Amino acid sequence: MSEQGPHPLVGRQRRMILALRVSLALAATLALGGLLLPGETGRALAWGFVGLVIAAPVVRTGWLALRWWRRGDPRFALVAVGVLGVVALAAVLSW
Amino acid sequence: MSLDPPILLAVAAVAATLGTVGGFGGAVLLVPLLVATGTDPLVAAPVGLVTVGAGALAAAPGQLAAGVVHHRLGLTIEIPASLAALAAAAWSVNAPGDTLRYVLAAIVLAAGVAGFTRPIPRNQPQPEFVAEPPAEWPGTLGGTYAGPGGPVPYRARRLPGGLAGMVVAGAITGLAGVGGGFVKTPVMREVMWIPIKVAAATATFSVALTTSIALIVYAGQGRIDPESAVAAGLGGLVGGVLGARIQQRLDPTGLRRLLGVLLLGVAVVLVVTR
Repeated sequence: MSEQGPHPLVGRQRRMILALRVSLALAATLALGGLLLPGETGRALAWGFVGLVIAAPVVRTGWLALRWWRRGDPRFALVAVGVLGVVALAAVLSW
Repeated sequence: MSLDPPILLAVAAVAATLGTVGGFGGAVLLVPLLVATGTDPLVAAPVGLVTVGAGALAAAPGQLAAGVVHHRLGLTIEIPASLAALAAAAWSVNAPGDTLRYVLAAIVLAAGVAGFTRPIPRNQPQPEFVAEPPAEWPGTLGGTYAGPGGPVPYRARRLPGGLAGMVVAGAITGLAGVGGGFVKTPVMREVMWIPIKVAAATATFSVALTTSIALIVYAGQGRIDPESAVAAGLGGLVGGVLGARIQQRLDPTGLRRLLGVLLLGVAVVLVVTR
């Protein structure tokens, strides 16, 4: 395996790392705003923070499903879609 | 329903710092402390889960950059975990009397005992894998981990046993509002023979998803108070970063044992105080 070098499908996921860093900075900003600002604005920012915490891993999973599907790994793309299905089921049952 | 935000922020930050250093997650300490001091377990659970989600978000970029997250494994184990979390979160509002308190005490006890276990290295460095990048192998539940002695190839073993353990982890998250990482990591390590750092990082990714699902259910039940959530979440972010820095400078074995004793004490307090 080593003689062939790194597998062409193996990436270091730079875009995902960047997206996660941006999400983290946004989460910290929303949390500070939600904590410090009074009234409805603060409450809206706080809900935004909770929404971001919930959405970040879900979006990451969708990203992976697309990535694996495009790169010829349909089995694990379907596993990712299965997890998204459970998320959707939770949302449907909750509302 | 609101907890005092400044106090909650401080307690969450301390719990997240200790939880990160000890490797069991901040909510394992935060939720029992809140319940022991009089907070309804149904209110404490979503607060704990927001800290878990925030901590996982804080840890994610660094873990991805280090190539220690196995996404395929994380999502494979997540299907039973998230189904269990969904069912447990939906049922938790109907849990009778002190059930949640005793479940929490059992969870804290298990996390405390886990602090005294010593991991056995299952995979050995293989010098012939020197050109292999530290990453998961596409299409498989295997990969390579950059260990201190050289590249360590691994693959997940005993998948059915591992998946059964994830049902327990997911149920704990949905029921009690603590991250299931302290179950997922040992199961991956001891049952599936995944290297400890890969298991811990993969569990963080997986726990974030389990947390999202349980929080969606809690939101539907009207159990999330945004003011408490944001204070605890910010504390979780701060504590996660602080804990990661402290962890790098101190002896993890001694600390885990010390925190194990602390958790055992919290379990006793949970059972004794009503």
